[in-house]
Amino acid sequence: MNPRLSLLLIGLAGLAVAFAPLPVQPIAPQERTFEIDARQYAYSPSELQVNHGDTVTIQLVSTDVVHGLYIDGYDISVEADPGQTASLTFIANKSGSFRFRCNVTCGAMHPFMIGKLNVGIDNWLYRSIGLATLAIFGTVISMRQKA
Amino acid sequence: MKRSELLSRIIVTVAIVGAIGAPLYFWSRTPLIHARMAENGGWSPDVIQAEVGQPLHLRFTSDDVVHGFAVGQMDMPSVDVLPGKVADISLTFDEPGIYTFYCTRWCGLNHWRMRGTIEVAGASTSPKPVSPPLYVSLNLDIDAPHDALFIPDGKPSAVNGQSLAMSSSISLSQEDYFTQSPYQVFDELKGTSLTDEQRWDAVAYLWQSNTTPESLANGKQLYAQNCAACHGENGAGDGVFANDLNEAGEASMQTMTGAHDMVMQTPVDFTDPTRMLGASPALLQGKILRGGMGTGMPMWGVIFTEEQIWDLIAYIYSFQFEYTK
Repeated sequence: MNPRLSLLLIGLAGLAVAFAPLPVQPIAPQERTFEIDARQYAYSPSELQVNHGDTVTIQLVSTDVVHGLYIDGYDISVEADPGQTASLTFIANKSGSFRFRCNVTCGAMHPFMIGKLNVGIDNWLYRSIGLATLAIFGTVISMRQKA
Repeated sequence: MKRSELLSRIIVTVAIVGAIGAPLYFWSRTPLIHARMAENGGWSPDVIQAEVGQPLHLRFTSDDVVHGFAVGQMDMPSVDVLPGKVADISLTFDEPGIYTFYCTRWCGLNHWRMRGTIEVAGASTSPKPVSPPLYVSLNLDIDAPHDALFIPDGKPSAVNGQSLAMSSSISLSQEDYFTQSPYQVFDELKGTSLTDEQRWDAVAYLWQSNTTPESLANGKQLYAQNCAACHGENGAGDGVFANDLNEAGEASMQTMTGAHDMVMQTPVDFTDPTRMLGASPALLQGKILRGGMGTGMPMWGVIFTEEQIWDLIAYIYSFQFEYTK
């Protein structure tokens, strides 16, 4: 096969993997409730998975000192005292992965008290895996053709 | 340079230095009180001197986590003490005496040990007679078991009890409400033609008739802020600290007092009818006022006013009775 043609084909395949629109199956938005335990210096669970458009309620239960939860990107927060459950409700209308962190100084390791909120499927992860596989495949082919 | 110019320069300089310096001087003279978790020393200093009628200026900062400042039995909003920030507070006391200040934000297992005193010197303007609390004048042993000998199957309903109490013309004076346990009242209703279930419903109504929605709402708020961390939001003794208290056991007691014979006990379950229906308001008042010696139950007598304690007690009984909403 013509080396240029095969390179062109691989290049086109790469573009398709990177930018082709995926068949989106609309997922009906649902209501999700998470109960997050906050203690020095971790959240449990520390990773949340929701779909785009879901109504998310987070009930923050603090088990030692006053903790908070602030979601980057959404710019919303809640603060919980031990013994008083605080809740935060929002609509997950932005896709991607967002950090949430404690926004009440809760001790020495306070800055490391973080968690993650995933909204929707992380498409870029799968696209990157596809692109990497394609790149390896392309390298192998071009090496064979030169040999 | 003319003399008048020199003079005016001096005046302007002195005025500027004075305007900036004087407040700074007074501000720096105000003591800075550091708040730390009880395990690390609590308030320092924890004894503050004051004069009657003289405004007391205090500055607070926290060295670890979020704390709060309030003075017991005083009508003042609590002030948050945040790490890295300084909170200014001005207080004026009308009566001499020893006031207790305390932390208002749950800052760890031993949060309630974070207390200090303000000693207010001076002459009293209107001395009030002090009467002993009800449990003392009744000579109640608040540490004795007080189980109800017979408990209802479910939660007695005040709605059902209302019509029964009306038709049988049963009522309970406030004095009797304070001094009798629900079980005692239930037992006294033996002479009536009501069934056991109906008698309990009537008791539920009598308890509701001795409180008000405002009192219950106030009690609920006090409970959430001060009790729920150990006794649980629903009163079941399963608050977020319950397990930690159990595990900490004596170790937790020793950090502060060095007492070796003390053992932490699990927080009381307010949903347990045997225990709660056998307790009179006066008994509960005693326990709240004094606290449980040897258990983790703090002494609230210096923090809550009498009215606040009655509100709390009214709310605690609502874990036993189904009140009308």
